[in-house]
Amino acid sequence: MDLAFTPEELAFRDEIRTWVKGNLPADISHKVHAAMRLTRDDMQRWAQILGKKGWLGWAWPTQFGGPGWNAIQKHLFEEECALAGAPRVVPFGPVMVAPVIMAFGNAEQQQRFLPGIASGEVWWSQGYSEPGSGSDLASLKTRAERVGDKYIVNGQKTWTTLGQYGEWIFCLVRTSNEGKPQTGISFLLIDMKTPGITVRPIKLLDGECEVNEVWFDNVEVPVENLVGEENKGWNYAKHLLAHERTNIADVNRAKRELERLKRIAKAEGVYDDLRFRDEIAKLEVDIVALEMLVLRVLSAEKSGKNSLDIAGLLKIKGSEIQQRYAELMMLAAGPYSLPFIFEAMDAGWQGDFPGDNVSNAPLAANYFNMRKTTIYGGSNEVQRNIVAQTVLG
Amino acid sequence: MDFDFSDDQEQLRDAVHKWVDKGYDFDRRRAIAASGGFDRAAYTELAELGLTGLYVSEAQGGMGMGPVEGMVVMEALGRGIVMEPLTQTLITSAVLEGYGPDGLKTAWLGRIASGEALVVLAHQERKGRYNLSHCATQAKEAPDAWSLTGVKHMVPAGAHADAYLVPAMIGDSLGLFLVERNASGLRTAAYATQDSAAAADIHLDNTPAQLLSRDGLTALEHAVDIGIASLCAEAVGVMDKTMAITIEYMNTRKQFNTVISSFQALRHRVADMKMQLELARSMSFYASLKLNAPADERRSAMARAKYQLGVSMRFVGQQAVQLHGGIGVTDEYIVSHYFKKLTQLEMTWGDTLHQLGEVSERMQDTAGVFA
Repeated sequence: MDLAFTPEELAFRDEIRTWVKGNLPADISHKVHAAMRLTRDDMQRWAQILGKKGWLGWAWPTQFGGPGWNAIQKHLFEEECALAGAPRVVPFGPVMVAPVIMAFGNAEQQQRFLPGIASGEVWWSQGYSEPGSGSDLASLKTRAERVGDKYIVNGQKTWTTLGQYGEWIFCLVRTSNEGKPQTGISFLLIDMKTPGITVRPIKLLDGECEVNEVWFDNVEVPVENLVGEENKGWNYAKHLLAHERTNIADVNRAKRELERLKRIAKAEGVYDDLRFRDEIAKLEVDIVALEMLVLRVLSAEKSGKNSLDIAGLLKIKGSEIQQRYAELMMLAAGPYSLPFIFEAMDAGWQGDFPGDNVSNAPLAANYFNMRKTTIYGGSNEVQRNIVAQTVLG
Repeated sequence: MDFDFSDDQEQLRDAVHKWVDKGYDFDRRRAIAASGGFDRAAYTELAELGLTGLYVSEAQGGMGMGPVEGMVVMEALGRGIVMEPLTQTLITSAVLEGYGPDGLKTAWLGRIASGEALVVLAHQERKGRYNLSHCATQAKEAPDAWSLTGVKHMVPAGAHADAYLVPAMIGDSLGLFLVERNASGLRTAAYATQDSAAAADIHLDNTPAQLLSRDGLTALEHAVDIGIASLCAEAVGVMDKTMAITIEYMNTRKQFNTVISSFQALRHRVADMKMQLELARSMSFYASLKLNAPADERRSAMARAKYQLGVSMRFVGQQAVQLHGGIGVTDEYIVSHYFKKLTQLEMTWGDTLHQLGEVSERMQDTAGVFA
């Protein structure tokens, strides 16, 4: 048992650090450190820089062109990117659909789709949730009917994150009503330019259009876009979840945001108010404890000796921490978090912000935005059900 | 970075588990509690397992092991809410090894390792609360001899120990001394604490003492940090067993014609307990793995760890009682004893609010496991 990284791990971290420092555009990291609005171009630019280096699929095995890193190396890479102020990689392509295509897609699908994901050229979206299927995802109703060599897809997906930019979408669709709801679901890859698809952005409480509704009206999808076998899609989706275990806790970003919280508290004069400062201290311990929890999972993955089935705990704690730092940042600025000037969150805005500190502009919006974290990815109440199941049976 | 235990560490854990399960069951514990809360025979059994010599160097007849082994052992003892204070032995042997003059080492370490001598820390004073630099006990130097005058409270197994490590003022600075129980002018007043274990006040009246270190505060802070790391591990064991007892009860107890483990309101409480347990276990690892770090880093890590453990212990203990219902507040049933132990541990070596203050005071611009 040893808390220290090995010399090899430290050398690896330094290599990543140097590369990120040399390749992450300063205008992008500036926006991330100040929580300003990121454009599609910002996200795409960073994805393609990573893609060129072969690191956009940083968790990929070498046989598919990935670096073949172990659990610790992947973590160190994510940490260096987060601390340097890199945007979160939009996960739908490289983190979510790619592992499913690798594990269950055929060779033709792998050759067709993986290169565009690895390079960051193709923007993928996720079509899981539906208006009637939130935490109870298996109740989904979007139908895919096999007609000749095509599926005809009808239905509606929702909460499709950044779907307004999507070029392809991977969908869970119902191909059978026989048996349990889970057994009639298939995994389809759909070109979003296909006639019959309508995307409508949903404005959220922070004023941003981060998610979308996606309608499918007699959309024709070639059968060669079915991943794996018909009616086995639920198993593939579960496999996908196994790839997000530590990613979802996002402890590296939390460390960066804790630093930002301290900067804001100092600038707003509440860092020396012990009542406020103790709240930061609590969050600091929460983050260290979460990081230890993540490191335990990584160590277990690396050695394969002990399996730690605590993905639910990581989701719950990670999301609570994200909400808490956003909340404390807003509280630190107090009334100066309240002006709602939409453009003030854009880099380079030259207007007057009340109180003269424009870095307070995104604080309330981020607080509102973060309420999603305990709802998405399986609500925290569903996660508690899962944790209780492993403990109580 | 690696959190796997070695085969030797696993064997050590198994040996202690076995002793707890077979040698220190609830009936024996109850009998020991009824006769004052300390059993020399049980302590000797710990010594026979080699545990009293865990932190004593091999040169002095011990096992020369480190914090990870200490953690493994204390977690296993926690599962049985063992009252014989091995943490005290870990503290006093490590402090003697690290700060004591050769004469004291030779005189005591071998006997501590063999279990022949029990040496405990006697530092708590009425107005000190958790402030280690507060000390009213005075040390007086005469040619070739020191003597101490003052009162120390809540000394674990205070009436049973063979010697004490006692902080006392040498003028303006804190010194650390070794005092033998049968020294002249020493009087003990024994009582039990809330966890049923034996404690005592130690009254010193011109009592002869041997100087262990003139830099007593450094040694005392280190002593307390060893105590915190040990406590964290012990607490994880106590909570682990508390959860197991609660889960078993919930899967047996029926209300409204079904086992109470089927009720979602209760299941979510259990999920939250599991969260607190795993955060606590993580921070117990953290504490033990930081115990040999430089003093500043060590101090900061122990404050973080003890804060988390305090939060976890209170939550797990209170929920365990609640989930049991009425049986949870009886003396007869086992779970209340685990709850009381957790409560006592929270207030040992600095409670949760105190530790939060320490963390708050020490915050830097960056933070994380490695900062």
